[in-house]
Amino acid sequence: MKLPRYELKAEKSLRVFEFISEGPKGKIPKLIKFSETTLKGFYNLAFGDKSIETGEIDDSVVSNNGDSEQVLATVVSAVYSFTNQEDEAWVYATGSTKSRTRLYRMGITKYLDEVKQDFLVFGLREGEWEDFEKGVDYTAFVVKRK
Amino acid sequence: MKTIKDLNEKKIPIVRIDNSLEKYKTVPIFQEKVDKANEVLKTVGLPKLTTK
Repeated sequence: MKLPRYELKAEKSLRVFEFISEGPKGKIPKLIKFSETTLKGFYNLAFGDKSIETGEIDDSVVSNNGDSEQVLATVVSAVYSFTNQEDEAWVYATGSTKSRTRLYRMGITKYLDEVKQDFLVFGLREGEWEDFEKGVDYTAFVVKRK
Repeated sequence: MKTIKDLNEKKIPIVRIDNSLEKYKTVPIFQEKVDKANEVLKTVGLPKLTTK
């Protein structure tokens, strides 16, 4: 994805990443985590803002830092990094709100042709997984490296 | 010598290791979303992989 993206830091297993969003609201640290689920090899991807004061993570805050495309590009690059070492992993993601999920869908849609070169991409609709298609309102997404 | 632009165009990013992030591996952050993912696994399962 040839978009500008932020520099990533991670712990050595590459399951927790951090980067700094920079924009009109200042520097906002963001954390990305690939969490294990009840199924081995199936990971939940989530990211959110890290409070500078408390270190607590909030995935519902809308930071409005004017860099959402760069943030999404950075999260995608973390997915590449994670699945580069866990190449059989399924990575599941959904937004914390409907509008956030829609934002993710728009992000995937925008770069779908490129993403599909490297990943199988599925969307969840009416309780079933389908091959991701543009213009369909999915509630969650899952990707797997080809 | 590679420029920042060259590096940015690589799909797999250069990642700096920061051991201070280790603590988040065991802290149950985003637990609500993990619970939802587990619920989807339980009710829907995995996508079917077809060979073309």
